[in-house]
Amino acid sequence: MFLQTLVTGLSIGGIYSLMAVGYSLIFSILSFSNFAHGAVIMLGAYIGLALATQLHWGLGLVVSGSVLGAGVLSVFNERVAYSVLRRRRAPSLFLMISAMGCSVFLENMVYATIGSRFYAFPEFFKREVVSVWGSSLSLLDVFAFTVSIGAIFALHLFVTRTKTGIAIRAGVNDMTMCSLMGVNTDRLISIVFFLAGAFAGVAGVFLGIKYLVYPTMGWVTNKAYIAAVIGGLGSLPGALVGGLILGVLETLVSTYLSSVLRDVFSFTMLIALLIWLPNGLMGRDTEEKI
Amino acid sequence: MEKMKKMKKPIVFCVVVIVTFVFTGMAFAAEAIKVGHTVSLTGGASMWGQSEANAVDMLVEKLNAEGGILGRPIAIVRYDNRNDAIESVNVARRLAGDKVIAVIGPAQSGNSIATAPILERAEIPMIVTTATNPYVTLDQKTEKVRPYAFRPCFIDPFQGTVAARFAVDRLNAKKAAILYDVGSDYGQWLSKYFEDAFAARGGEVVAKEAFRSEELDYRAQLGKIKELAPDVFFIPTSQKEAALAARQARDLGITAVLLGTDNWGSPDLIDLGGDAVDGAYFVNLADLDDPDIQSFVAEYRERFKGDPVLPNPIMAQDALIMIAEAAKAAGSFDGPKLAEALANLKDVRVTSGVLTVDPADHNPLNKPAVIQKVDVTKKSFVFVEKYQGE
Repeated sequence: MFLQTLVTGLSIGGIYSLMAVGYSLIFSILSFSNFAHGAVIMLGAYIGLALATQLHWGLGLVVSGSVLGAGVLSVFNERVAYSVLRRRRAPSLFLMISAMGCSVFLENMVYATIGSRFYAFPEFFKREVVSVWGSSLSLLDVFAFTVSIGAIFALHLFVTRTKTGIAIRAGVNDMTMCSLMGVNTDRLISIVFFLAGAFAGVAGVFLGIKYLVYPTMGWVTNKAYIAAVIGGLGSLPGALVGGLILGVLETLVSTYLSSVLRDVFSFTMLIALLIWLPNGLMGRDTEEKI
Repeated sequence: MEKMKKMKKPIVFCVVVIVTFVFTGMAFAAEAIKVGHTVSLTGGASMWGQSEANAVDMLVEKLNAEGGILGRPIAIVRYDNRNDAIESVNVARRLAGDKVIAVIGPAQSGNSIATAPILERAEIPMIVTTATNPYVTLDQKTEKVRPYAFRPCFIDPFQGTVAARFAVDRLNAKKAAILYDVGSDYGQWLSKYFEDAFAARGGEVVAKEAFRSEELDYRAQLGKIKELAPDVFFIPTSQKEAALAARQARDLGITAVLLGTDNWGSPDLIDLGGDAVDGAYFVNLADLDDPDIQSFVAEYRERFKGDPVLPNPIMAQDALIMIAEAAKAAGSFDGPKLAEALANLKDVRVTSGVLTVDPADHNPLNKPAVIQKVDVTKKSFVFVEKYQGE
């Protein structure tokens, strides 16, 4: 029973981590919480769904297509909604409000064009149950978990080992100085948004396969946001750790206390963290957390 | 700042407002009487809602061709309640402002309970379509009947009992587990009625787990249920949650027979649930193969090139017929007189059969329930058994 809870918690946490990365990436460079991230995840799921059901592509191609599509959408979102504010040096609060607007806009666009019905992905995995230390887990969970961790690790390598990655980290430290040194910050920000979008694409497809595809599916990113706060907004390893911790804790609460108290617990944790540990477990010191 | 303002502007929500005026030759001079329709044209219940709207429009045309009600044509004033309690309240206020004579809908218990007090104050009778919670027509505090609330469908204590009877008599179940949505009146009460009826028949409910609305992952709850090895697993939710719960339950290796309620009865249950829902049973209000409704089904198919999404279209037609018959009996469109006539309807021929309203609680008498089985390979719900009302 305890092991089953742990395994289930980790598999839920893996998805949280994948989504939390998007929040952290953008927060790290622009210091605002991009609440449109959930909507990009939702669009990524719809792109994947279209590729899988209309073009009958395999899982690999579906994920790649969704990564590309959601990445481009995310860059487009930044160009349209944030870049003007950014150039005007508007406070990050404005960016966050704009992000909320984008989220509602995108959800309702989907309502108006595609409609509100639920969709399920075709079954890429046979309904096969894997036994891990005597507890059951579906094949999809194992795959999703591996890919999530792998993708986050790849991103970590990219940020630490490549020239662009170094530029991103420099931008995280001091954007003005970075641009004085000759880094094209617009391009840099676009790359960051593309990466966040790419992660949204992967997360969208996994969420769609695991659960369902519908306009408000991005709602679950609230949890990913909490995960990002636990780990420390702006920190990539923090997003990973925060997601896993939240997933496991939530499952423990549901199993041993009450499933109805789960969200009470999660959001209490969010508030408590913001009061006592605003930088999370691995975040760097900043004054603003919006 | 200009740009900011533009973006903050509230998005135009897709509230669809359709007012249908169908005048017949003989009634062109008479002013149309307005009947309100509050229905989920968008949101999670839109599949039923759209079909319900089609069926109502179809019947309005027919009634108007026959001369309308008391010589006046019917005009439907329809607003989308998005299957949301707050939006339902807004819709009810607008309908009251529009001076409709009666309201069809909403279809869901929670939305209906939210709507009832507003229409009661406006003295407008409402006939909910498929809201099966007892407290739609009864006031929960006083247990007194709400004078302006009616329905053509059976109620949850009956539905819960039918599910429990079926589980004990046909599935030989001794142990049952329940998973329900704590944010829905429908699920909360049905779990209680099922639990009571199952226990009364010698069964034991070994696990009763809840989740919060909009939640997608139930594996924590299902892990607990698995440990207790139930024979049947009762899931009184809508098709989306049922499909998810079924898939996750099978992933965890739960083998119990799945048992559901009338909210499962949507064709996309099979698309969403796949193999996991195969062989599951659920209680429904109507069956596509029911001989009583064949002429309706044929007419609907011809007109809309598809099957009606039961049971809402049928129940909404029943509601409109109830309004028409009550107006004829009362000889008036006046709210209080109409409500009195509705409470005393007897042996009225409606789309689903013959209907008599119980004046004591405004529920129909002897409404039957059917048990259907999900067949994934044939992509259909197979008729299993019919339970007569008690």
